[in-house]
Amino acid sequence: MATRVEQLPYGIGRFSTRLYLLLAVLLVLVGWGIFAYSREFVEGLAMTGLRNIGTMGGATWGLYVSFVIYFVGVSFAGITMAALIRLFRLDHLRPLSRMAEALTVIALVLAAFTILLDLGQPLRGVINLFRYARPQSPFFGTFTLVISGYLFASLIYLYLDGRRDAALLARQPGPLRGFYRLWAAGYRDTPAERTRHERVSFWLAIAIVPLLVTAHSTLGFVFGIQSGRPGWFSTLQAPGFVVMAGVSGIGLLLVIAAVMRVVLAEREQLHEGIFRWLGTLLLLLILAYLYFMVVEVLTTTYAGHHHEVRISLSLLTGQFAWLFWGAVAALVLAVIVLLLPYLPPGLRARVPATRPRWALVFGAAALVPASLVALQGLNLLTVLSAGARSLLAWLAVALALLCFLLLLPHLSRNVVAAAATAGILVNVAAIGKRLLIVVPSQTHGTLLPYGDGTYTPTWVEVSIVIGLFALGTLLYTLFFKVFPIMEVHAAEEGAQ
Amino acid sequence: MARYAMVIDLDRCTGCRACMQACKVENNTPMANFWMYVFRFEEGEYPNTHVWFMPRPCMHCDNAPCAKVCPVGARYKRVDGLVATDWDRCIGCRYCEVACPYGVNYFNWKKPSKNYYLDWQDEDVVQVTGGAVPPYRNPDLDAPYGEEHRRTAGGGRLKGVIEKCTFCVHRVERGLKPACVENCPLFALHFGDLDDPNSTVAQLLRRKPSFRLLEELGTEPRVYYIGGHPPSTESRQIEEVKARV
Amino acid sequence: MRATLAILMVIVGFALQAVSYFFLAAPWGIPSSPVYSNPRVPFAPALFILGVMLVFLAAVVYELLPDRQAQ
Repeated sequence: MATRVEQLPYGIGRFSTRLYLLLAVLLVLVGWGIFAYSREFVEGLAMTGLRNIGTMGGATWGLYVSFVIYFVGVSFAGITMAALIRLFRLDHLRPLSRMAEALTVIALVLAAFTILLDLGQPLRGVINLFRYARPQSPFFGTFTLVISGYLFASLIYLYLDGRRDAALLARQPGPLRGFYRLWAAGYRDTPAERTRHERVSFWLAIAIVPLLVTAHSTLGFVFGIQSGRPGWFSTLQAPGFVVMAGVSGIGLLLVIAAVMRVVLAEREQLHEGIFRWLGTLLLLLILAYLYFMVVEVLTTTYAGHHHEVRISLSLLTGQFAWLFWGAVAALVLAVIVLLLPYLPPGLRARVPATRPRWALVFGAAALVPASLVALQGLNLLTVLSAGARSLLAWLAVALALLCFLLLLPHLSRNVVAAAATAGILVNVAAIGKRLLIVVPSQTHGTLLPYGDGTYTPTWVEVSIVIGLFALGTLLYTLFFKVFPIMEVHAAEEGAQ
Repeated sequence: MARYAMVIDLDRCTGCRACMQACKVENNTPMANFWMYVFRFEEGEYPNTHVWFMPRPCMHCDNAPCAKVCPVGARYKRVDGLVATDWDRCIGCRYCEVACPYGVNYFNWKKPSKNYYLDWQDEDVVQVTGGAVPPYRNPDLDAPYGEEHRRTAGGGRLKGVIEKCTFCVHRVERGLKPACVENCPLFALHFGDLDDPNSTVAQLLRRKPSFRLLEELGTEPRVYYIGGHPPSTESRQIEEVKARV
Repeated sequence: MRATLAILMVIVGFALQAVSYFFLAAPWGIPSSPVYSNPRVPFAPALFILGVMLVFLAAVVYELLPDRQAQ
């Protein structure tokens, strides 16, 4: 019995060969990203595809800024879920709260890194922002509220929420005992301490919800209040950011929860109800976002100034159409997937049973032409003609659709897989939409007749973004290997 | 205090781009950076076409969107109306650039040695020059200016900071006119103090109707155009300059 | 004691935010002189962030302050 009890819960501290392999791959990717950044740091931002708006016909904000918004958006999920679970006593979602909090913290760290990567003088940025930052600049909110305040609040929430578990874990001997003791900071789980924590987490949740709306809105204001950029200047920008943040954040949380369910084999704790509930929330947010999008596109295309119309048309039929319609398709497909659990039982029984294997084969096959097209888009492989390129692109789309159709029957039976698929789809859509907010208004939105510009990210930018994702995954993996990713005390209490 | 402004006479401009050249020489701007740029427009269909030219310096707006959004106050409005960039403070976020509706901001994408038309450290170039680097640093551009004593003349060409037309602050403070104005062979560009009723700019603006670019945005530019019309949807550039670094 | 300290920290934090935002940082308005580009007190933005952090630190103080009876 002794050995059994001394095992820490949720695979903490157990590093299998497969995990080491994963960590090694992630480290290599992070290292590659660091190398790419070293090139940028030494040579300047000339290594990126960014160029000046106007006579240079480029976009001065590109992939980096899009991913700043994306990462900040993803961070939405964590702290909102934690706060919502606390405020509305959604006890059946409790197992998610720590996963969500960790997601928030890591996403915000990545966002802060990405901002620094984008600066021409990152070292100055660190000092000058604290020294000179002006409240009139929309960046003030991004940097004080989002990066500092929001990150700090999430860290505190994560810390206080974890004390009880840390105290429990500190009872068992192990190499991490000192760390747990430090985290627990004298927590003894007396009833007084419990009520105190209840009270504090309630007030924190109350404080965090307005901070959340403000913080995500400030990011929308960075774009929304620029009257000189058609496509950005819109009242819907700030609320749109809040909703899209929710979509991408909850989507990623669903993916993480599904992965944890498989990896930790915790089918009871992470039960299907969680996925059904969160999936429905995601569904509502996507519908709200699609509504915003239609309103926005209608306004700018129907009644807009000709500059606005130009941007709209570049999205609807022009250079960015593939990205725009791709993102819309991903959102619509996510809606379909999320609606599957609401199929009437009679209809669901008649859906033929298929195995997801073929779907995965087609999905993998779709990746080949897709990556070929992407490589050519990045000017890394330019042997294909334009015709061959569009042919390959359509082939990728067809294969992906086939994969999706073959996957549907499987998804209609498996709530978890459906939720995770929707999560992946909305995150792809979110990244696409972020790029579409940032880039077209610069390349196609000049008010003086400079002509259309172009922006293609270079290998440096792509490598750095991949490195950032690897860093995030690495941090997350390490976190759940040193600290329980779900609350332990409930299970422990049951055992005692 | 003076209220500096520029008046551009579109009737006189022949699109010779001498102002662009003068700016390049005076301010030593890097490759593909045009602090002063001259649009060459064409309107109408053949044979009823009309060709005209429009110089575009920085507008030095009174309600400058770039100064509003600058997170660290590196872009600011001087009391005499010049919109200055403190390249000692700029962190290189390029927010001013996306906020500017006129597209006048240029970022230093490369390090100074590689930022020019010739890379002076390139092996082939060194073979010719014998390693001698020409004195391309005008000391005036490095000095601090204004009562606030900030380095705003766009010297240094520091990697990763934003720069733009300074109205040649280093010349204006010495009582000279900006290089583009001084070098225009047809006197299409005028520079002076709006508060001085005898200045050329004040007289011109009294005598002739004028317009400013994108006035509807409320940016209140300090660059006035006379003798022409603003570019419309009909105006297309004859050769789009897409010089990249 | 515990509650008083926490509430005090929240109040001080919000006050610090408000004061640094409106009175210590760069003045509000259309930037028409170099005054608008400098905070009135150096490192005022850092003070604002400190205010935000104080508010949330109150939660930690409230929970971690040692009990008097326990000692």
